[in-house]
Amino acid sequence: MNYLDCSFKINGNLKKISIIEDKSLIFVIRNELGLTGTKLGCGLEQCGSCAVLIDGEKRLSCTLLAKDYQNCEITTIEGLENDNGLNNVQKAFKEFNAAQCGYCTSGIIVSITALFDKNKKPSSQEIQNALDGHLCRCGSHSVVLKAIDSLIEN
Amino acid sequence: MNQFNSGPSINAYNKLSHWFDFSDPGTLKVYSGKIDIGQHISSTLALITSKITEIKYDQIEIIKLSTDISPNEGITASSLSVANSGSAIKAASITLKINFLNYALESLKIKNEDILFENGVIKDKNSNKTISYWDFAKTDDFRKIIIPENFDENSLKRINYENNQKIELKTINDIVTGKYKYVHDINFPKMLHARIVRPPSYHCKLTKINEDFKKRLVENDIILFVKGSFVAILSLDEFLVIKFLEIAKNNIFWEEKKQLSGDNVFNSLEKNEKESLLVKSGGEAFYEEITEKKSFDDPKIKSLSTIFKKSYLMHGPIGPSASCAIYNDNEFTVFSHSQSIFALKYSISKYFDIDPNLVTLKFMPGSGCYGHNGADDVAFEASVIAKAYPERHILLKWTREDEHLWEPYGSASLNKVFGAINDDGEIVYWSNEAYSDTYLSRPSDIELNNFTSYKFLTNNFVITKSKPKTSAHMGIHRNLDPLYNFKETRLVKNLVHDLPLRTSALRTLGAFANVTASESFLNDLASIKNVDPFDIRINHLDDERAIDVLKNLKKKMEIFKSKKGSSRGIAFSRYKNSAAYCAVGVELNVTDDLEIKLNHAWITVDAGEIAYEDGIKAQVEGGFIQAASWALYEEVIFDSKEIISKDWDSYKIIGFDNIPVFTTSVIDQKGSPYLGVGEVVAGPTGAAISNALCKALGQRIKILPFTKDNITKELLN
Repeated sequence: MNYLDCSFKINGNLKKISIIEDKSLIFVIRNELGLTGTKLGCGLEQCGSCAVLIDGEKRLSCTLLAKDYQNCEITTIEGLENDNGLNNVQKAFKEFNAAQCGYCTSGIIVSITALFDKNKKPSSQEIQNALDGHLCRCGSHSVVLKAIDSLIEN
Repeated sequence: MNQFNSGPSINAYNKLSHWFDFSDPGTLKVYSGKIDIGQHISSTLALITSKITEIKYDQIEIIKLSTDISPNEGITASSLSVANSGSAIKAASITLKINFLNYALESLKIKNEDILFENGVIKDKNSNKTISYWDFAKTDDFRKIIIPENFDENSLKRINYENNQKIELKTINDIVTGKYKYVHDINFPKMLHARIVRPPSYHCKLTKINEDFKKRLVENDIILFVKGSFVAILSLDEFLVIKFLEIAKNNIFWEEKKQLSGDNVFNSLEKNEKESLLVKSGGEAFYEEITEKKSFDDPKIKSLSTIFKKSYLMHGPIGPSASCAIYNDNEFTVFSHSQSIFALKYSISKYFDIDPNLVTLKFMPGSGCYGHNGADDVAFEASVIAKAYPERHILLKWTREDEHLWEPYGSASLNKVFGAINDDGEIVYWSNEAYSDTYLSRPSDIELNNFTSYKFLTNNFVITKSKPKTSAHMGIHRNLDPLYNFKETRLVKNLVHDLPLRTSALRTLGAFANVTASESFLNDLASIKNVDPFDIRINHLDDERAIDVLKNLKKKMEIFKSKKGSSRGIAFSRYKNSAAYCAVGVELNVTDDLEIKLNHAWITVDAGEIAYEDGIKAQVEGGFIQAASWALYEEVIFDSKEIISKDWDSYKIIGFDNIPVFTTSVIDQKGSPYLGVGEVVAGPTGAAISNALCKALGQRIKILPFTKDNITKELLN
């Protein structure tokens, strides 16, 4: 097995680690760096629970080759808090209790953060596009949509 | 509130110390035998405790279930969490509060009007002396108190509370920050990650493992575990296990003992050997002679018959099942998200033939749970592997493909419905025959073969036939008996054998199919005599609470004008005829391409006394969305070789693009028993969608899901 010395900038911290050269990014994030808020749901880019931000763009970390993202700014759910605590999306989800089991929630929060970082007043179609590919099985959709709507109103 | 019954959990756990731990000053720790499976039961239980004891919600912590310290309240299932654990904790809280008040008044030698009560502390207004619950918990009095089975009016008079509190869910901050720990996130030093190498289908015996592959495993420090035909690989590096899992598939060989039946499952449901039982009013099933359906010659009576079909459905949690187990000093500790934590303890000890006290099951959250999914299997499998590698934690996770292919599905089913209505709009005859595989194959210490891996471990591929359950509303015949006062009913439960796929409890068991069929058929009968859908229901109900939810629904729906080109449908059910009442209204549009777009959903629910209103709303709206997904999209596809629905592309579920606006109303019956709401909405949702679709198309679609293909087939018929 070939190992590779890599450095990753995750949530503002530089981490140097040696990894199996074809390791997927999600396993670096979860297992090497202990950031378990990013969830593995399918490993097939079908459910959205592994979403992270790479240079501000939402990406699904389950199929990305980790070594290709060494020079990027990677942000996970744990890195969304700012100096004032929770970011606005996290605050809205908290205020609306917008989760059931919560397994899909961090991926959704990451996607919606990426959306609002670019556009403070997204249209409902843009919100739908951001949520496309995020699956929730408990049916938290209605309250998640309420939390997102509150971000536009505020 | 005239009387209150403490519920079944208090029979075995009638001391305050069974439910409360005051050892940490300022915090009340509460024990429960129920677990958080997405319904936030901990928050609801903390709120119940807080309302009654007047200890702040934030001061209350619900202890995660562990079989060595928690009360055994059975399975977290059947919409009984609030009904059982909620009632028990309410009873314990009332007992605590009354005894604490008596103790404080006596110790401080003061009267009721002299006290200030805040955060669990009583203060004498005059002397400023204080006594807290935590002081009281140290006394002999506290230890001796027995929680009564019933409370009379006099005791209840001393308890005042409201039911409209807003709370922050106990777990929400950790969820939105990614700190909430699931069993998948467990990490112990030297822990081994494990995956199972699955055969291509259910009935396969291991024949060979390539020697070269074994060598490659050794070279990469990967452990190969083989017992019978059960094969797993383990490594310190999770990624490496996944990588070699793919390689393993081409290096491990199997002999297929039996293929899946390639027949259309609806034909098999009719043709196969079956056991037929008569279901009587009250919902119990009996081995009694089943009479033929009646026929009607009277011209004033019109009759109708229909067959409704439902495909196999998947639980499909977003996070695949997982468990972590360790075997140390002859004892097992197993972390699991199973609904059946206590049953697992006994199953695992039975398999290893050891004292159950040597097995401790600890609850750790998993992804959402909607019945008997892979959680029990994976915990059993993790224990089997852990036994072979003592003192090492084994974290076993199912893959997405494992979850899709190996979980026990909700059975495919048929409902043959026949009914007759007279000129007065009165239903004079109602027959419903349900055909399905079992909904109840949970593993237990006497049914170890219900673990999916048991046959591979033992290489025993003999299929045992499941036996019909006869208790009221159990399994296939759940909600087969309608709540309506029809003149004459004929209800038959058919447990069909030799069906192709593994099945067990999926949310509502048979109720989703039975209610969808009967509430659709009720509309069809009513339309023969032009009776309004609300009227046909209300006219056949005696139960005032049932009538009230329907009237409330009607009022709420009338407030909103229909969208252009849309159609509406309604339906009603009382879950198990003994839990919550629920009426559902749906407005939808059907596109030119036969896609169904949900515009609006109205839900009115009476769940007895409201324990936590927003929690009830989340459960019924979530339940609606899941049932809408079943009705519109979901079916497990398979052929004689394999199950084809192995990922989310081949098993479509609802997305954010088809979520209706909700108008959800909860009727509070303060002083009445809590009635669970986890499942009540599913049946009426299926039927309300079916009824709205029928209106839109002018024809009843009798096969679920309502996909373009199925609708087209039905329209062409």
